[in-house]
Amino acid sequence: MRVLRTKARRDMRRQRASFLAITVTIFLGVTLFGATYDAFRNLDDSYKRAFTQYRFANLTVTGGDVARFAAAARAQPGVEAVQTRTQTDVPIQVGADKFLGRVVGMPPGHQPAVNRLAIESGTYLQPARPDDVLVDRNMAKAFDLETGDRVAVTGAAGAQRVTLLGVASSPEYYWPARSRQEAFTAPKDFGVLYVPQPLAERLAGDARPNQVAIYYANGKENAGLTKRLSAAAERSGATDVFTRADQPSNSSLQQDVKSFEQLAILFPLLFLTAAALATGVLMRRLVTSQRPIVGMLRACGYSRGQIVRHFLSFGLLSGAAGGILGVALGLWLASVMTSAYTDQLSIPLSVIEIRPSTILVGIAFGLGTGALASAAPAAFAAGVPPAEAMRRFSPAKAGKISLAERLFPPLRRLPVRWRMAIRSIGRNPRRATSTVLGVVLALILILSSWGMIDAAQILIDRQYGQIERQDAQLYVRAPLGSAELARIRGVPGVRRAEPAAELPVSLRANGHRYQTALIALRRNTQMHGFYESGGGQIELPVAGLIVGQAVQGRLDLRAGQSVRIGAPGTGVEVSAPLDAVVNEPLGAFAYASLDAVRALAGPRLGEGNSVFVTYAPGVDRDRMRRALSAVPGVTAFVDSKALQEYMNSYLGLYYLFIGIMVLFGGAMAFALLYNSIQANLAERSVEVATLRAAGTPFATLARMITVENTIVAMLGIVPGLFLGYETAKLFLEQFQTDWFSFELEMRTSTFVLASLAILAVALLSELPGLRAVRRLDIAEVVRERAA
Amino acid sequence: MAAFEATPAETAGGHRATAQAGEPAIVLRGATKTYGEGDVAVRALRGVDLEIWPEEFVVLLGPSGSGKTTLLNLIGGIEPASAGEIVVAGNDVTELDEEGRTAFRRDTVGFIFQFFNLVPTLTALENVELVAELGRGADRSAEMLERVGLGDRMDHFPAQLSGGEQQRVAVARALAGGPRVLLGDEPTGALDLETGRTVLALLHELSHELDQTVLLVTHNASIARMADRVLRMRDGEIVADERNEVPAPAEQLEW
Repeated sequence: MRVLRTKARRDMRRQRASFLAITVTIFLGVTLFGATYDAFRNLDDSYKRAFTQYRFANLTVTGGDVARFAAAARAQPGVEAVQTRTQTDVPIQVGADKFLGRVVGMPPGHQPAVNRLAIESGTYLQPARPDDVLVDRNMAKAFDLETGDRVAVTGAAGAQRVTLLGVASSPEYYWPARSRQEAFTAPKDFGVLYVPQPLAERLAGDARPNQVAIYYANGKENAGLTKRLSAAAERSGATDVFTRADQPSNSSLQQDVKSFEQLAILFPLLFLTAAALATGVLMRRLVTSQRPIVGMLRACGYSRGQIVRHFLSFGLLSGAAGGILGVALGLWLASVMTSAYTDQLSIPLSVIEIRPSTILVGIAFGLGTGALASAAPAAFAAGVPPAEAMRRFSPAKAGKISLAERLFPPLRRLPVRWRMAIRSIGRNPRRATSTVLGVVLALILILSSWGMIDAAQILIDRQYGQIERQDAQLYVRAPLGSAELARIRGVPGVRRAEPAAELPVSLRANGHRYQTALIALRRNTQMHGFYESGGGQIELPVAGLIVGQAVQGRLDLRAGQSVRIGAPGTGVEVSAPLDAVVNEPLGAFAYASLDAVRALAGPRLGEGNSVFVTYAPGVDRDRMRRALSAVPGVTAFVDSKALQEYMNSYLGLYYLFIGIMVLFGGAMAFALLYNSIQANLAERSVEVATLRAAGTPFATLARMITVENTIVAMLGIVPGLFLGYETAKLFLEQFQTDWFSFELEMRTSTFVLASLAILAVALLSELPGLRAVRRLDIAEVVRERAA
Repeated sequence: MAAFEATPAETAGGHRATAQAGEPAIVLRGATKTYGEGDVAVRALRGVDLEIWPEEFVVLLGPSGSGKTTLLNLIGGIEPASAGEIVVAGNDVTELDEEGRTAFRRDTVGFIFQFFNLVPTLTALENVELVAELGRGADRSAEMLERVGLGDRMDHFPAQLSGGEQQRVAVARALAGGPRVLLGDEPTGALDLETGRTVLALLHELSHELDQTVLLVTHNASIARMADRVLRMRDGEIVADERNEVPAPAEQLEW
């Protein structure tokens, strides 16, 4: 059917703007699919390959009888390698900067059996150089460190300087997370040194390893083995057991992988649905306008099947074009995203593959969208009776009073032209519904991305404005003495300084255990705000504990319930009642008053090991960092506002993402609104020409069209805002972790701006239609109809 | 009405032979068409009996709503009859299902519509090829366009052609598949007098050359003068069947 193909091609060319809009929407959907799905697959494969090559531990057990547990683990079938080591958090000084870092013991002379290092520069640890260490690449980058540089590490035996043998990366620290509760740290607040095991033991002040890393056969996860080993760890007195999935760095990175995976489903779904709606609108209009031709074709002997295939070909062509171009761009974007991502994290093995399955699925998405969307109009066309060839125009549908007028009778007193605009909306309910749905989809797309950033910003403002009120936290050698506190208070620029204690603890309740930090502050502290879910502020209790919602969830706690608090490595375990649960978006800590800690754990811990500081307004933060770090006894410094700034700058990356999503959402809404308006105007060309012939000014017609279009957009905006919010909420729920626990909150301005963006798109989309109305050849249209 | 007789005969002009001795090209027996059911049922055709002979040029006259287009649709297999028997070129159309009627229209019938129904995105040649492609025989699209005098306008799009030219393309399209029966629904309804006469003359000449049976439906009584036979319809029935002894050439028609 060569000629029918020619007809299809030329029909498409004739309505190229409409078909282009559809093709672009399909293209965007398939591009997003290709980019996000392959980025997800690439990242997942990159991690898996790196994890296998560098033998990333499947299970890590801390504390207890390490030697006994390691021996038991080695005997377990399915265990390929076991590595014991010492890991301890110690103050590290690089130049004038002091922070609480981490040292991880490694066998000198050869790579460990588990958690191997990739040496980026320099050499691996050598037995002949017992005090030389490797620096993790994130720390090297933050402090601009190179092989040969020296840093100071303060261990159990005091401070000592070590030389850097090289820069390395480990699968445990691709993302530099201190713990599951502190997955996000400012670059200069955390760093890792890989040190010879004997040095790690000296720094920890314990000649025995305190951690066991276990690698399963071929690195494959094994739930049964994990269960058995976890039980064995429990028996050996381990204080913390985490799987590969829970490992702080990996669990953070998996959030990214998961978000790519979800985007690979949600975004293409939105775009392809919008494209399908736009295609449906366009095709139905095309078929309607071609009823006499379809009738002629049927009268001349074209079968229903041939008519169906003919009209399907429109959608298939758009789908194929959008699908093929989308797959090509998507794959390219996936490779760019994967490279950028793996380079940024220095994942040594970056897997970038072109997967035939992605190509096939992408093209199938394009074709499927086109075919599905044009199937109903094509079937409708096939149902056009040949007798339609005897008509010139399709019979007009019966007019009726609009629903709005029936519900709100005063509308009937509006000037006729406005009533006409209102009634026009219901004239083609299917098309109006498609357009409304398009606006809803666009808002879902916009709000589901914008909502995330809004939530993150509100969360950061709340966390660092209301909850964590300190400007800095200083770690000092415990116990904190009054002289040290006085020295800190005496530093110019310090407004307030409060003693505090931060203790690693293991909380137990209801058969669950959770490793976190207990932060002890003065009861009337000015450094931390405690807010319950309802928003009310509370004080630290005299005795019991306060925990964040994340901890409550993990331990299944109820207020008043007793919690067992263990201090790992000390053998101390006490009980305290849970006094209250606070709403803290970031972190999952336990809080108590210094008095309570003193009563529970003795005066030494109760004196504190940390100082929270606020600055006088307008001070130079870098100067304060240097001055406070230089105070004798201060071993580490955390600039709390630097973390806030770092998080804000990190969020800055997402503005581009949001910008793109707003643009894409706008494009999606434009495609549908544009096609609907074009179809509406084409259908009413005679009416419009008649109104023009009767002397209706163009401006009045433009206003009528704008009113109609705006009402349709508004009909979509209302449910769109609601569903967009709900989708964002659903999205956010997927990302709740130990570190992050937050219910979606969005700014009113976001709803307003998103609505305005859609209205702007609606206005923009009618411009070509208005231009056509202005150029309408009144005489020709009226004459044609008269003929 | 001396020019009309009640029985078929050789035309005086000799340009149209009605081979009554053979089988009729079109036979209707009790053809009935009812739209709707019950109280709202409309009987558009009320048991029409009719025979049209091969190569006859028949004009069917009648006021709006008399059932003439319905009759044309039934003969052309566009719509199924509600009752009765319709045989066209040996095909019992009433026995055909939807698929069969489609094939019947493709192979046996050519249509000319009042509003041409040309595809605006196809050239004149392509519009004719559109139907020729369906046929099994050689593609005579270009030849047909030459025959209708549009040899030099084959690559023009409908919008670039006058109304008469567009209808000539439609005539070429109707003839391109080599149909045995040509059905026209008000083929000059959208044309001015001069153009209408030209199209009718062309239709008459070509159908004669191609030995086709022609049935034109119109409310324009003037066209009856060029017919071999004139049928008149009212209220779904044929109320007159007259033979035109001396058909006038289309060029002499006036309306």
